[in-house]
Amino acid sequence: MPRFLELKVADCKRLNADYFELWLEAPSLAPLCKPGMFFELKAQTAAQERKLFKPISVAGVLNDRISFIIKAIGPGTRALAEVQPGETLFALGPLGNDFPLVEGKNVLLVSGGVGWPPLGFLSDLLKERNKITHIHGGAGASDIFPCDRAYTVDGSAGEKGLVTQDLPQILTDQNIDIIYSCGPLPMIGAVQKIAPKIPHFASLEAYMACGLGACHGCVVPVGESYLRVCADGPVFNAADIRWEEI
Amino acid sequence: MNRLATSLGKLSLQSPITVASGTFDTGYFDLFEQNILGAYTTKTITMQPKAGNPPPRIFETEAGLLNTIGLQNPGLKGFLSEELPRLRDLLDIPLIVSFSGSSVAEFEAILETLEKEEGIAGYEINVSCPNVEKEGIAFGAEPDVVFALACALASKSSRELIFKLSPNVTDIAQIAIAATEGGASSLALINTLYGAAIDWKTGRFRTSNPVCGYSGTALKPVALALCHKVAQAVKTPILALGGIHTWQDALEFFYAGASAIALGTAFYSDPLAAVKLHQGLKDHLEEKELALSELIGKASLPLP
Repeated sequence: MPRFLELKVADCKRLNADYFELWLEAPSLAPLCKPGMFFELKAQTAAQERKLFKPISVAGVLNDRISFIIKAIGPGTRALAEVQPGETLFALGPLGNDFPLVEGKNVLLVSGGVGWPPLGFLSDLLKERNKITHIHGGAGASDIFPCDRAYTVDGSAGEKGLVTQDLPQILTDQNIDIIYSCGPLPMIGAVQKIAPKIPHFASLEAYMACGLGACHGCVVPVGESYLRVCADGPVFNAADIRWEEI
Repeated sequence: MNRLATSLGKLSLQSPITVASGTFDTGYFDLFEQNILGAYTTKTITMQPKAGNPPPRIFETEAGLLNTIGLQNPGLKGFLSEELPRLRDLLDIPLIVSFSGSSVAEFEAILETLEKEEGIAGYEINVSCPNVEKEGIAFGAEPDVVFALACALASKSSRELIFKLSPNVTDIAQIAIAATEGGASSLALINTLYGAAIDWKTGRFRTSNPVCGYSGTALKPVALALCHKVAQAVKTPILALGGIHTWQDALEFFYAGASAIALGTAFYSDPLAAVKLHQGLKDHLEEKELALSELIGKASLPLP
């Protein structure tokens, strides 16, 4: 059951020009967080008072603390970037479903930009009992996080190009059994197109309002209907998504 | 003494706060007690299930929210089998079922089916949802059609019959008069305004349907003016909505003639907006030693 709380900021530090890492004190909620789940977060500033919350995936949990890795791209995320340790912010969560876990598999993680944090969290849980290959892409060097192979569109870090460009080779070389992905829909769609027969669980990003399944604003075409990313996801079986409509 | 008690036509409400159809779900009751609300209004249901519009469906603007959900709902049958039993079990507050149809006959058929079900206190007749081409807007824009529809429905039910009015008409007072004369026992206003947004960098609309419903903060003065206008034109009780967030906002609407109010978009910036509104209103009325019913329609002109 999600809760709506004012959580204390334990730490908020810049990672690079675009990203920052936020740690929140949440002893009652930290044990509930699993990879894929997210929170609706909002800074307690006057300018944000009438604004929507921002859906942010859990990047990790350490004891009583929950971490989020956030890209400052608009007023809502920039306001979050400016919170100071000791201050509080509004948090609604944990929300959504989580990735199904596996054992003894060759696992491929594919992430793009802000899609890295939930897969970083997932990797921590899977790495003991699986062989993991994590490939990650972004527009430029600031989008790159720890992984096995990195790709940037502008070539400023890792290999120049898209995260999916070497995918057929990796699938064969690593004998991949299962794929987890998180990132822009076109990236996830490209992965699904290249590997239609490999089990593939994707955590989707969406423009979101309520976060609780009430408003039906954040839907994606899945199966025979539109499902809510917030309440029916954010993790979906990628094969169920109607890619031709995206 | 419950200073917040009010009535909406045939309904006695323990709280004047309700929810705008389509914005709220029982999931919020994980966050606060349902008796903060005076009634629960469902998402609008239609005869057949509706998939709704493709994404993107929402976009936040400077002072409000655009949406083009497209009345996604499980249809009347789905509502009866999945939703209604759950709501009946869960709710201690009056249940208002919102529905829409594509013809007078379809509105009648839905109402006749719902009349056989227990646990429904009233209906909200959605004649104003601006998102879907055929359903809604054609009904709500024509006084003659609204009158005929109200006559047809009022003769078939003794439950509270709330007509929800659109602001996207030439004269909302004429629509309110038509609904009242036809037999509507209360009026909900306003539904969303028209709104749109375009990404200036690409020239693309922000939502899959260019013309959306616009809700939130920006609507408050519009809704207040129309509430006043309708209150001057008819004696029918008014359920006011449009940009309401705080107890002070709510007071303005009561002064303008509303008997109850609904929150919608406010839940998305503050999931506890209803709780804060309830407490603020209660404290204010206690301090002034007033009951809510004493304020309704008592707005006056500024001193010279």
